[in-house]
Amino acid sequence: MAEGIITHLGGMLENKEISCTELTEKYISAIDSANGDLNAYVKVTPDEALAAAKTVDEKIAKGEKLDPLEGIPMTLKDNISTKGIETTCCSKILEGYKPIYDATVWSALKAKNAVLLGKTNMDEFAMGSSCETSYFGGAANPHDITRVAGGSSGGVASAVGGNIAAYGLGSDTGGSIRQPASFCGIVGLKPTYGAVSRFGLIAYASSFDQIGPVTTTVEDAAIVYDAISGYDKMDSTSQGRKGEPTVASLKNDIKGMKIGIADEYLDGVSDEIRTAIEKACSVYESLGAQIVRFKLPSLKYALPVYYILACAEASSNLGRYDGIRYGYRTSNYKDINEMVCKTRSEGFGAEVKRRILLGTYVLSAGYYDAYYKKAQNLRGSIVSAFKNAFGSCDVILAPTVPNTAFKKGSAISDPIQTYLTDICTVPVNIAGLPGISIPCGFDGEGMPIGMQLIGDTFCESTILNAAWQYENAVGAEVFRSSSYGVKL
Amino acid sequence: MVTRDDVINIARLSKLYIAEEELDDMTKAMGDIVKFADTINNASEEGVEFDNINNLRNAFREDEIVPSYDRDEILKNANDIDEGHFLVRKRV
Amino acid sequence: MQYEMVAGFETHVELATNTKIFCSCTTQFGGDPNTHCCPICIGLPGVLPKLNREVVRFAIRAGLATNCHISNISKMDRKNYCYPDLPKAYQISQYDKPLCENGYIQLSNGRKIRLNRIHIEEDAGKLIHKRGDTYIDYNRGGVPLIEIVSEPDIRSVEEAKEYVERLQQIMRFIGVSDCRMQEGSMRCDVNVSVRPAGSDKLGTRTEIKNMNSITFIGRAMEYEFNRQVELIESGGEVEQQTLRYNDAENTTSPMRGKEDANDYRYFRDPDLVTIEVSDEEVDELRKTIPELPFEKAERYVSELGLSEKDAANIAKYRKIAEYFEAASDGVKNPKTAANFIIGQIFRRLETEDDKESFEIRTTAEQLKELIKLIDEGKIKNNLAKTTLEKMLDTGKPVTEFVSESDMADLDENALAELCKKAVESNPKAVEDFKKGKQKAVKSLVGFVMKESRGKADAAAAEALIIEIIG
Repeated sequence: MAEGIITHLGGMLENKEISCTELTEKYISAIDSANGDLNAYVKVTPDEALAAAKTVDEKIAKGEKLDPLEGIPMTLKDNISTKGIETTCCSKILEGYKPIYDATVWSALKAKNAVLLGKTNMDEFAMGSSCETSYFGGAANPHDITRVAGGSSGGVASAVGGNIAAYGLGSDTGGSIRQPASFCGIVGLKPTYGAVSRFGLIAYASSFDQIGPVTTTVEDAAIVYDAISGYDKMDSTSQGRKGEPTVASLKNDIKGMKIGIADEYLDGVSDEIRTAIEKACSVYESLGAQIVRFKLPSLKYALPVYYILACAEASSNLGRYDGIRYGYRTSNYKDINEMVCKTRSEGFGAEVKRRILLGTYVLSAGYYDAYYKKAQNLRGSIVSAFKNAFGSCDVILAPTVPNTAFKKGSAISDPIQTYLTDICTVPVNIAGLPGISIPCGFDGEGMPIGMQLIGDTFCESTILNAAWQYENAVGAEVFRSSSYGVKL
Repeated sequence: MVTRDDVINIARLSKLYIAEEELDDMTKAMGDIVKFADTINNASEEGVEFDNINNLRNAFREDEIVPSYDRDEILKNANDIDEGHFLVRKRV
Repeated sequence: MQYEMVAGFETHVELATNTKIFCSCTTQFGGDPNTHCCPICIGLPGVLPKLNREVVRFAIRAGLATNCHISNISKMDRKNYCYPDLPKAYQISQYDKPLCENGYIQLSNGRKIRLNRIHIEEDAGKLIHKRGDTYIDYNRGGVPLIEIVSEPDIRSVEEAKEYVERLQQIMRFIGVSDCRMQEGSMRCDVNVSVRPAGSDKLGTRTEIKNMNSITFIGRAMEYEFNRQVELIESGGEVEQQTLRYNDAENTTSPMRGKEDANDYRYFRDPDLVTIEVSDEEVDELRKTIPELPFEKAERYVSELGLSEKDAANIAKYRKIAEYFEAASDGVKNPKTAANFIIGQIFRRLETEDDKESFEIRTTAEQLKELIKLIDEGKIKNNLAKTTLEKMLDTGKPVTEFVSESDMADLDENALAELCKKAVESNPKAVEDFKKGKQKAVKSLVGFVMKESRGKADAAAAEALIIEIIG
């Protein structure tokens, strides 16, 4: 059975095999030695981590019972606001910015004495699929450091894949949790829109963004999801988790579960990945599940719909970076307008600028109907197509990415080619559905392949249950990278 | 079809400067991206009206005052402040 | 050629809620700079807006009081423009689905000024320019506003002024805003165009921004009307533009050029959900709309017999109207109450603000006691007047100042006695009267009034004195 790192470390703390301080020190020194290669962390916070560890050790000394996440060393993507700790979205424009409030997810974990090791690398403002648009340079893949960790939550995936964090939180707007999890051979869950509060998550595209766990196993993902999901009065779009904690139903029998395969997801996917998906189908059949094949034709517009709507929202969300209240400000200007324009031009990277310009274009007078409005209506079509699909199946099985982790530097040159690799992940964000990526094999070059399980809204329990059963059947340990990180 | 003037206009609205020498490249890049976006207009279907993602209604807050933040906190991340204000100084 | 003015208003009214529209900071006016702020209203990265329920209610009430249709479904949109007073670089407002639509305000000449819409939105912060430096205070940022948009139905400066006054009175009456123009809690943008009288085509309009006084609105419109007429007469064309009014010179001047033309790129705010208002809720809110000033004034004239001028003056101020209604309820002559208010009480309330806040020491109940004594003939007008002054000074009831014996009727004999005494003790006045100085009798009557402590009937006394003198 696949024991997750969270459960494993929790057991060690409880049995006093190691103190929380010792454990934290181990992780900090592992970061010291591995981060040069991985570039997973953009900010390490040893003081905060050791302070939290001390609190946990005091609790242990008093014989108090620990929460599953208590004392577990973890990390947050650098777009999740942490009071007093620099939060930059890996952009020059937020250089030096220290939030004066905590994101709701971080408050929730802090209350459980989570041990924050630091903030992890990402594509600038989460705009990218390789982590290479980061102002601090990209994060490397722990399976092969000449390759990308994926993006945008590349740093979290690299850290968890390389075990220099037991788990982390990423954010997923068009695949930013699932794609790097797939590239790094780990588990990434993008929850239903509204299940996890967005308050404190620095917005890229508000109607797509969701925070979710990046972990080594499905059980860990369930534990973290149960801890961070919940209604938040600060977020108007928040609804919280529906039903029991997902951990409870993780090991349920899946006999008779209907697993859907849509042909459109397999178009343009590499042969190795297609084979891995077919193999997964066989595993499911052997577990008593039923494979259902159907079509989702509206998926062919998913990518342009996503890019139009996400960039439109981004162009507005990123208007606030004007050098007045926080972040970078240019030093040479004639008047306020020039100060704002120069600050933005110097502070944002090329991909962010491209997306702001596209977003401005599709919303501007004369183009709104042909792009924004049309895309919004097609979003409606995709939502109803998925609703129909879930009439005939319980989960949808699909590849996470059409390819495995690519070499560093190969994506940056052609933006549209890069956009196309998001084809399997964006539909979930368009429809607000939960999706999880779990490892399901390696390609010929030894790079991990990920598969995706998609559920109907607020059906995290179902996809986690299906994912756990698969992982349990094939064994998850094989996917862990062994060359980096804390040895346990 | 994206023109240089389109790019100049959207850059102005976006408060971004694009140097004269980058303008042609940016026009081409934007043209490619817009062409890609334009594929949605090949869709025969009209689509379905989209409201908000979970069709939520009426998420309200009660009208009760919560003390504001200390001004020091509010101004903490600013580049320049004076007399309790955010400040943008004149440059010469 | 004769020209006609065509004008419409966009009026911003700050709502008198406790907290801002999207966060829980106070809306209180003033305060040290940036002390009514939080991460949400200064637009820190990662914050989200949460709509104040009361803002929706206030706006619906404003709509109901101006005869609007209330939309069952509406939503919030982002209006994108970058300016240092707008911390998110977009204003959350309502674009194509406002809360209220198709209302009107009726003027005293009977004309209805149609309202296109009323929508809710957030206010911006304040910029202070000092020696070229820009200081920014976000206290006002996020204060809730309603924007009331009229159709171009106004035809004269007088109508414009009355429109603004009526709007102001209505909003104050229903308690959604104090509408203090000098504090900026009510601000108007005025669209003005001209056309040949009798034409039904609209001319090119200009927009005068941010007017914060009714007097200036009148002057600016007058100036703009004449400017446009002169321009057309001399063969020119009016250019559609945004103007600023300069009150020192009484002129208008363009605010920005065409090249800065804005494109607001409105789109639905994905951080906020749909607003749904049920018919039941609208009906509940309709019950909270009080009788409005013009309705009150009409009733005061037709039912209570007040003059139109007095009725309007009392009905204009909510607190005064309520005071009048309470003090005149059940008395024989409601006009007595009106006279006391407009005469003696108004003298103590010099400014409009004083009248609006209406802080006086005598309660309506106490005033009514006084009026009842007059109704019953127990005290005469003169005594009542001086007594009211004492009551207003001290807040004490009428019984503190008028004794039982004061209220006892003066019988005919006693009156005759007093008149006789007046004639005997004032030979000089009697002499004067006899010489034909009619006025001299007044001092004799005054003597009687004083001796009777105001109880005597002055007219009767005068007749009796003249009779005695012969």
